[in-house]
Amino acid sequence: MGGVWRGVFGYLFLVLMVRVAGRRPGKQITPFEFVFVFFAGGLTLTSMVGDDRSLLNAVGLIASIALTHFLMVWARQHWPVFGRIADGTPLVLLEKGRWRPDTMRRMRLQHDDVMAAARDKGLERLDQIAYAFLERNGEISIIPAED
Amino acid sequence: MPADIETKQIEDSVAKNNNEVAVGSDLEFQRRWWRFEHILWLALTALVILDALGFFGRGWFAKAEAKTPDGSMRIEYERIERFGAPSLLTIHFGQNAVRNGGIQLWASDSLLHELGSQRLIPQADRSALDGHGILYTWVAAPQPDSVQFSMQPAKVGSAWLTLRVPGADQMRLKIAIFP
Repeated sequence: MGGVWRGVFGYLFLVLMVRVAGRRPGKQITPFEFVFVFFAGGLTLTSMVGDDRSLLNAVGLIASIALTHFLMVWARQHWPVFGRIADGTPLVLLEKGRWRPDTMRRMRLQHDDVMAAARDKGLERLDQIAYAFLERNGEISIIPAED
Repeated sequence: MPADIETKQIEDSVAKNNNEVAVGSDLEFQRRWWRFEHILWLALTALVILDALGFFGRGWFAKAEAKTPDGSMRIEYERIERFGAPSLLTIHFGQNAVRNGGIQLWASDSLLHELGSQRLIPQADRSALDGHGILYTWVAAPQPDSVQFSMQPAKVGSAWLTLRVPGADQMRLKIAIFP
């Protein structure tokens, strides 16, 4: 029984930590962010399992985590406010030749990060970008400027 | 004939930026979130500092020492324990703890139930249930100057541990057990 609650707590705590530690998964993730993700996951696992190595404990933990995940996704779909809390909201980083420095600073992003996403789109210079957005999944999407 | 598939006309349901790009950005919400993050970072910093100092066990603040007024026992223990984490409780006996060539120690049953005593070093020559506790007896010479209980707390909450050398003052310790 305790394992189930530990699983739920561990899942929610990790979601919160990853949410506040920075929204840079996927393509933007850097090696030291990999370290954080794997280290945090490994440490959570240790306290979730404890000294109970039984199959039932593993089944209970996985089921509780899956159920918590399902409930979070369900809540996100039904209540937009919960969706914004869990995922955040897309943010404008660059708009028609002007940076949003406050957003960049608070999201711990640099101009290089935007330019890296722009190069993915085949763009060579910042002035070729009309809009740059930080998406909810942490990726930077680029809308090229019209010639 | 395939079954009817439900469809719905698209609407302008995603907020536009600059009336051009449908982004769904909510900067007001994000500003509130940044304020929350700021508070959370402060709370996490406080948590780390308190943890390092031992306010959640296993550190400077958690270590404690108690002594009976008559000097029969001096006890080194941790006033804050952690559930399932091994710890030690050491009892140093004074000269007046030796009676009839042996040493006896009575410990309340919370030592076993809440604090999860695993091992006693050196092992007692005799141990017997006595009321709501256990009476340990060392008779073989030389009697130990100190004994050590190896514990692994089995319950979260607080535990009262009473220790007594029969015929001498008793010591009552409150130990918090964190999850």
